[in-house]
Amino acid sequence: MASSLLHPPAHLAPSVALRLSQQAPYLLRTTPSAISPYSISSLWSSAESPELWTTYENLMLSCLRTGDEQSAHTCLERLTERFGAENERLMALRGLFQEAIAKDDDALKKVLKEYENILVKDPANMPVSKRRIALLRSLNRTSEAITALNKFLDASPTDAEAWSELADLYVTNGMFPQAIFALEEVLLVTPNAWNIHARLGEVLYMAASSETGTDKHLPESMRRFCRSIELCDDYLRGYYGLKLTTSKLLTTLSQSQVSRQSKGDTGLPPPDIKDIERLNELATAKLSEIVRRNTSGEAGWEGYEKPEIIAAQELLNRDAAPITR
Amino acid sequence: MTWLSKSITSLGFLFLAHACYSAHEHSALHSTSTATLSSLTSHGPAASAVASLPIDISIETVVAIFTICLALVLGTPELRPIQWRVWAGKIEREGEKGFMNGDGEVEKDYVGNPFKVLESRPGFVDIRKQRKEFAEWVREGGDLATAPKS
Repeated sequence: MASSLLHPPAHLAPSVALRLSQQAPYLLRTTPSAISPYSISSLWSSAESPELWTTYENLMLSCLRTGDEQSAHTCLERLTERFGAENERLMALRGLFQEAIAKDDDALKKVLKEYENILVKDPANMPVSKRRIALLRSLNRTSEAITALNKFLDASPTDAEAWSELADLYVTNGMFPQAIFALEEVLLVTPNAWNIHARLGEVLYMAASSETGTDKHLPESMRRFCRSIELCDDYLRGYYGLKLTTSKLLTTLSQSQVSRQSKGDTGLPPPDIKDIERLNELATAKLSEIVRRNTSGEAGWEGYEKPEIIAAQELLNRDAAPITR
Repeated sequence: MTWLSKSITSLGFLFLAHACYSAHEHSALHSTSTATLSSLTSHGPAASAVASLPIDISIETVVAIFTICLALVLGTPELRPIQWRVWAGKIEREGEKGFMNGDGEVEKDYVGNPFKVLESRPGFVDIRKQRKEFAEWVREGGDLATAPKS
């Protein structure tokens, strides 16, 4: 489908990437390589559109992923022809191409060196500094990547993508308080992003499951999932998280009735146990409705991803088992 | 739905063209029949021709315009949700299928969840990891049939 070539292909399933890159030779043959504004042929050929170059960029990423380096190189050449080799975004793309075809760590180190040379010349080159951070992470030099990313964010504190990457880096290192802070920064930039609210809920849940700070994180996580549902009707991920957190809250609160009373210094009061019960019921009802309607193939309920539906079914089954026994 | 609206629109335009043609013919006939040497300045007969336009031509014009309006309204795409949570829910629930236009193609400006880039992060893509994962997927014999469509 041509529409998926207009979006960054990172999250696509492998099969879709394969299909896209299989289209590459055909697309490269049929789409124009360059559109010059002052030629006779521009009278009858279609006007240049931004979609054309987005297509090239995304096609190149898909081809690199599937190993079709020749087509990727053609895309890169055409983009260079159009925008020039000094374009910041193209510098990053060229680096990406070299990363992909690098055989061993030495070649990668060379690419890294190249990035650093570019950054010495022009420290404000955002795409290349992002690539450098990504390459550091890919080389398993996580702490260096975190330092570089923090420096990057000092320079551009409104880059939501970078904050989100930082949060992900912290989560992989198990540094949950820092990750929560970074995700809250993302939400300051994009307060309506329902998936980031859910992500923050997940990280809070993970933090609560780790050894530190259970009683503060879990209610906060529940609130985040509630917010994500508030922003998006029938949000499977939000309801899944809500069910997990409320079930866990119910067990912990019934165990430690006393410790709940002692807390009064955090901003929000602890949630009422009746509200949690009702939220839990609501999440169960909604999840089973979503699963039922999706599996029966009802029209207008087919947009959910298969693994998510299976996971929701699993959660519902796990919950139902003790009752039937 | 679209073929219905299209056919009604063309019917309406047919009526309208017919009404215009009739009006033109009527005024031409009227002016030649009442033409005198003194009224060749064309102002007088034209005004009288408009005033004496037969009622059936007027009715046909009005009916044609209403038909065209009705057909155009019928042919409009479904209104988009204007509430944030309804719109977001539609994206999550229906995916691409919820944003088809009349011809069965996904609309040009459909982007899915616009905040998904915050989780896929194209600026920080780790291409080597993706290549490795793809190679593994191929080795495991990934087939197109079981894959989700997008």
